[in-house]
Amino acid sequence: MRFYKLLIVLFALTGCNSTPKSTLPQIGFVDAFEDATIAQAKTGFVDALAKNGFIDGKNINIVYKNAQGSIPTLGQILDYFVSQKVTLLATSTTLATLTAIQKSKTIPIFMMISPTPKLMKIEDKDGLIPSNLFGVMENLNYIDTSFSIMPTLIKPKSGKLRIGMVYNQAEPQSVEALARINTLAAKYNALIIAAPVNSSADAQMVTQFLLDKNLDCFFANPDNTVFAAFETILKNCNQKNIPIFTSEVGLVKRGALAAFGADIYLWGYQAGVQASMYLKSGETQNLKPEMVKVRKRVYNPQVAKKYGITFPLNFEAIK
Amino acid sequence: MDFYLSAILQGLCLSAMAFGIFISMKIFNIPDISTDGTYTLGGVISGFYISQSYNGFAIVGLVILGGALAGAITGIIHTKLKVNALLAGILVMTALYSINLSILGQSNLPLLNFDILFTVINLFQNPTYNTFLIVFTIILILLMSLTYVLKSDFGLAMRATGNNQIMIRALGVNTDTMKIIGLAIANSLTALSGYLMTLLQGFADINMGIGIVIVGLGSVMMGETLINFFNIKNITIVLLIVILGAIVFQLVLAFALSLGINPNLLKLITAAFVLLIVGLPRFISNKAE
Repeated sequence: MRFYKLLIVLFALTGCNSTPKSTLPQIGFVDAFEDATIAQAKTGFVDALAKNGFIDGKNINIVYKNAQGSIPTLGQILDYFVSQKVTLLATSTTLATLTAIQKSKTIPIFMMISPTPKLMKIEDKDGLIPSNLFGVMENLNYIDTSFSIMPTLIKPKSGKLRIGMVYNQAEPQSVEALARINTLAAKYNALIIAAPVNSSADAQMVTQFLLDKNLDCFFANPDNTVFAAFETILKNCNQKNIPIFTSEVGLVKRGALAAFGADIYLWGYQAGVQASMYLKSGETQNLKPEMVKVRKRVYNPQVAKKYGITFPLNFEAIK
Repeated sequence: MDFYLSAILQGLCLSAMAFGIFISMKIFNIPDISTDGTYTLGGVISGFYISQSYNGFAIVGLVILGGALAGAITGIIHTKLKVNALLAGILVMTALYSINLSILGQSNLPLLNFDILFTVINLFQNPTYNTFLIVFTIILILLMSLTYVLKSDFGLAMRATGNNQIMIRALGVNTDTMKIIGLAIANSLTALSGYLMTLLQGFADINMGIGIVIVGLGSVMMGETLINFFNIKNITIVLLIVILGAIVFQLVLAFALSLGINPNLLKLITAAFVLLIVGLPRFISNKAE
C-alpha cells in the first residue's frame, strides 16, 4: 500500500514541464515589489526599446517577473533568468539590482531606480564596480536641489523653518538622504523633525506625531514606504494645511505641492535607451552606468492654489 | 537544470529553519514567531562579521550563539513571566528588528567576498555544484546531530513536553527548562539558516526575515502531510521529510516562475500548488477507504 501511495506522489511530482525556449533575444525584467509609481520605470524601459526598434514578441522577448516584496523569491527569479541565459537583465529598484549583481557576473545588468554603486556599497577596495553593471543611477545631489526649493517658497511661521520628514530605516537611500538633509538644514536655517516609518501601517501615527510639532512644511523623501503610504501622509497634511515637497514627479501628481527631481518614467526610458544600444551592437565596451539626465522642476497647480503660492517660471505645472 | 538546482539549494538553506520550526512546533504546539527576527539575526551577524573579515568558523559560532540567546529569551519570557507563547515570540521578533539594525549599522549590506564558505570545496567546474555539495554536507551534519539529540533521553523528554506537559512534569522533568533549551536550539538553527541564505544571496537585509516563519511553517506542514500519509515514526525519516518539505516549497515557486505565469498571480499560484500537494494525498486516501 505504501509503495502504491509513493507511486502516486512521484507521478504527481513528475507531471511538470518547463516552457519551450524562444529563439528571440530574451530580456529579463525584474521588479522587487509592486508599486504604481515604480512601475512607470518598466513602461519607460519598454517604450525606449520599442522606439529603437525592439518590440516585445516581435524581435525581442521581454520576460517580466515581480518578487512581490519577498527576498527569497527575488533570488529565485534571478536564478531563473541566469539559467535561461537571458541576453540582458533589467533591474528596477536597489534590491533587485543588488541581487542581480550577486547572481551574475557576466550578463549585462541595466539598473534603474537605483543609487550609485558607491551608495549601494558595492565598490571594491580599488573603487571598481562589477564589470557587468550598466544602466542609470542617481546620487544624493537631487536632495540638495529639491530641498532648496522649500526655504525659497515657504516662509517660517516663526524663527527657523520647521520641516517634517519621515524616513525608512530599512532603506539605505532613505537613511542617507536624511543625513544629507540634516546637514543642508543648517545651511538654510531650517530645522528637520524626522521620525522613522518602517512599514506603511505606521504612517498614520507617525505623520500625526510630526504634525503636532508645529511644522511649516513636509518633505516626502521618496522611499518605498512613502510611495506606499503617500495618501495617508497627504490626507493628514491636508487637514493641517501643511504643504508637501518631494523629489519625485509622480508624487506631485498624487498631491504633493512641488518637486525637483527625477521622473521615474524617463529614468526607465534612459535605461531602455542604453539597453537597446547593447542589443544593437552586442558590445558593452562603450557603456557604463550613467547619471539620470532628466530632472524636472514641477508643481501641482491645484495644490499651489490651495496654499496661494505662485511658482517661478522655471517650474512646470503638472497635468 | 541549474535553475532547479538553485531552487533546491535555496530549499536546503531554508531547511535549517524548517528544523527549527519543527522543534518549536513539537515543544509548543504553536510556531515560534521569533523566527522572523532570529533568521535576520543570523543574516546580519554573518553579514557584519564577514565584512569585517572575521574567521569563518568564528562567524558560525557567533551566529549559533546569537540565535540560541534570542531563543532562550523567548523561552524565559514565556515560562518565567508566563507570557503567552505567541506573544513572547512576537515581542522578541519586534525587539530583534532594532537589534539587527544596530548590528548591521545600515539596512542593507552587500558582501563583496561573500563566498568564503562556498569556495572551500572545488570539485566541480560549476560553482553551483560545489555550493550544493557544501550546503548538502552542512544539512547532513545538522540532520545527524539533530537525530542524535532527539533520540536521546533528553530529546524524548523535550518532544514529550509538547505532547503532554502534565505527564512529563509528573515524571520529574522541568518543562520550563525543556522549553527554554528547545527554543534555544530551534532559534540557533533558524539563525544558521539566515547565515546560509546570506552567503547564498550575497547580501544581508533588514527585511530578509519578514514572513519567513510562514515559509518554514509551510514546509513543516507539507512534510507532516507525508508523515501522516505514510504513517512514519522514525525521527530520521521525519526530519528528512521536513527537508523535503522546504525544498518542495521552493520548487513550487520555481515551477510557477518557469511556467511564466502573470507576476500578479505568483503568490496565488504558490498557495494553490501547496494546497494541491497537501490536499491530494488526503483526497486519495479518503477515496481508497
